Amino acid sequence: MKLLQNLTIKKFHDGLLKKEFSALEMAQAFFAHIKKTDPHINAYLSLDEAGAMRRAEAVDLAVAKDESVGVLAGVPLALKDNILIKGQPATAASKILGHYTASYDAGVIQKLNNEQAVFLGKTNLDEFAMGSSTENSAFGTVKNPHDTSRVPGGSSGGSTAAVAAHMAVAALGSDTGGSIRQPASFCGVVGLKPTYGAVSRSGLIAMCSSLDQIGPITKTAEDAAILFKAIVGKDSLDATSAPTAYGEELLNPKLENVKRLVVGLPEEYFVDGLDPKVRAGVDMAIEKIKSLGLKFKKISLPHTKYALSCYYIVMPAEVSSNLARFDGIRYARDERLKTENLKLNDIYFKTKGEGFGAETKRRIILGTFVLSSGYYDAYYEKAQRVRTLIKNDFENAFKQVDVILTPVAPTPAFKIGEKANDPISMYLSDIFTIPANLAGIPGISIPIKPYAYPNTSQELPVGFQLLGKWWREADLLGIGQFYDKLEPLEPAS
Amino acid sequence: MSSITKQTLEHLAKLARLKLDPKEEEKLTQDLAKILDHFKELEGLDTSNVAPMSGGTQLKNVFREDEERENTNRGAGIEQFPEKQDGFLRVPPVFE
Repeated sequence: MKLLQNLTIKKFHDGLLKKEFSALEMAQAFFAHIKKTDPHINAYLSLDEAGAMRRAEAVDLAVAKDESVGVLAGVPLALKDNILIKGQPATAASKILGHYTASYDAGVIQKLNNEQAVFLGKTNLDEFAMGSSTENSAFGTVKNPHDTSRVPGGSSGGSTAAVAAHMAVAALGSDTGGSIRQPASFCGVVGLKPTYGAVSRSGLIAMCSSLDQIGPITKTAEDAAILFKAIVGKDSLDATSAPTAYGEELLNPKLENVKRLVVGLPEEYFVDGLDPKVRAGVDMAIEKIKSLGLKFKKISLPHTKYALSCYYIVMPAEVSSNLARFDGIRYARDERLKTENLKLNDIYFKTKGEGFGAETKRRIILGTFVLSSGYYDAYYEKAQRVRTLIKNDFENAFKQVDVILTPVAPTPAFKIGEKANDPISMYLSDIFTIPANLAGIPGISIPIKPYAYPNTSQELPVGFQLLGKWWREADLLGIGQFYDKLEPLEPAS
Repeated sequence: MSSITKQTLEHLAKLARLKLDPKEEEKLTQDLAKILDHFKELEGLDTSNVAPMSGGTQLKNVFREDEERENTNRGAGIEQFPEKQDGFLRVPPVFE
């Protein structure tokens, strides 16, 4: 357990090469720890011990033969269960896909296969990545490892809880309106939402195609840079993935360059409703970053207040289209409906009616409404115009500053059940993360020290958010890596 | 902008091929009223001179040569068909 506690990708790689441990020993240690810990957390929906051991043995063989192995070789990772791995379950935490087995590898999985990463298993989420707490999972809520009476955030709460509870070295999540960054903040880990188009969405079960991005969840900003660099790039199976060139600066940022960045503080994100602990934590982070030599500037993103409404029109509209495919015809039909005499409509209505959970149904109905004849202009097209205004806000801001610093969420992790019956109050927990998805810019959540230390403080973790220019993940990860160096994961003793 | 009546909700559920029980309908009507009420804030925002943003990508067009190519996923998914016959998907009659 001690060994797993502060283990990063970087440390794993160094230890593996120095033969301090084998990849197989580490995979076994992780499974032993998961079996002991996860019954209290519920982060994993399925484990792939056989596949993980096979991959780990292959890596050990390569190391024994002194073949060169990449930095992710043998590294035990957790994958959000809306990312397809061939032959593995991919439920998206929905009853409707409860018996589904993936037919192909997602683009990011193909890349991680080439890196010889070890996949421990698939992690829990809100059904189809729709939620902010994982309470919408059809397979039970994930508990926050820092306080099991609280939610881990969502929708990638299984992935962030797995990393926070040392049940994986790192993980992948997906972020449509904050689903990587908000749970990262709640669980005290790093979470990066890349620029729209940086990472292939092929093999990611689609929720909202114009907003979804896969990204890394890690213990340090350096690990986030390593994992991000491994998964970026054009994929012919995702037409919106862009040919991008991310250089060495991602992994080896220079302080002289990072110091020159100007950080914007948008007045619209520092509002009265902010939890005092979040406010105090973000102020601490600002002071730390100032001490690195960066300049700060007050800015305005005037259309911020419209982002939530805009998002809750655009997103359900795309959800209602994307989820139409779960109709019981091509896959995912309940065993009880496999009889000769059922009519087509009966299969549709029963499959969807019984297979989808309450939040999913709410969004399908809302999306159908805003796209329906007579309401399209008033809602959907209006929201698309507002989306342009939100994007323009960022374009204007980035003429004055290089990055923008904000809170990640208005509060730390809330209690399980606290917001479950009030959709608006639940939706508000994504208010600071949604604008980045609408604009397509990258964002990162970084734990504020010392809140991030689970055993040295009773405080709940809180993160701060950095938003960057399109394709400038290097700015976010650069600041993050120097911030981490101020107070490393494992204090020097 | 308006609220969603029981009749509208039933119509939407039919369009979405979604079976809802009366309890679900009641909760959805309440939730949607609150959500649509929240959307009212957009009414005051003038967007008449703003072009709609139709997607997330900044790419203009994505072209490829029109040539024969190996489809790596051919046949993938057949094993997931609920009902099949001779390698084809078997579906109930569409026209009745």
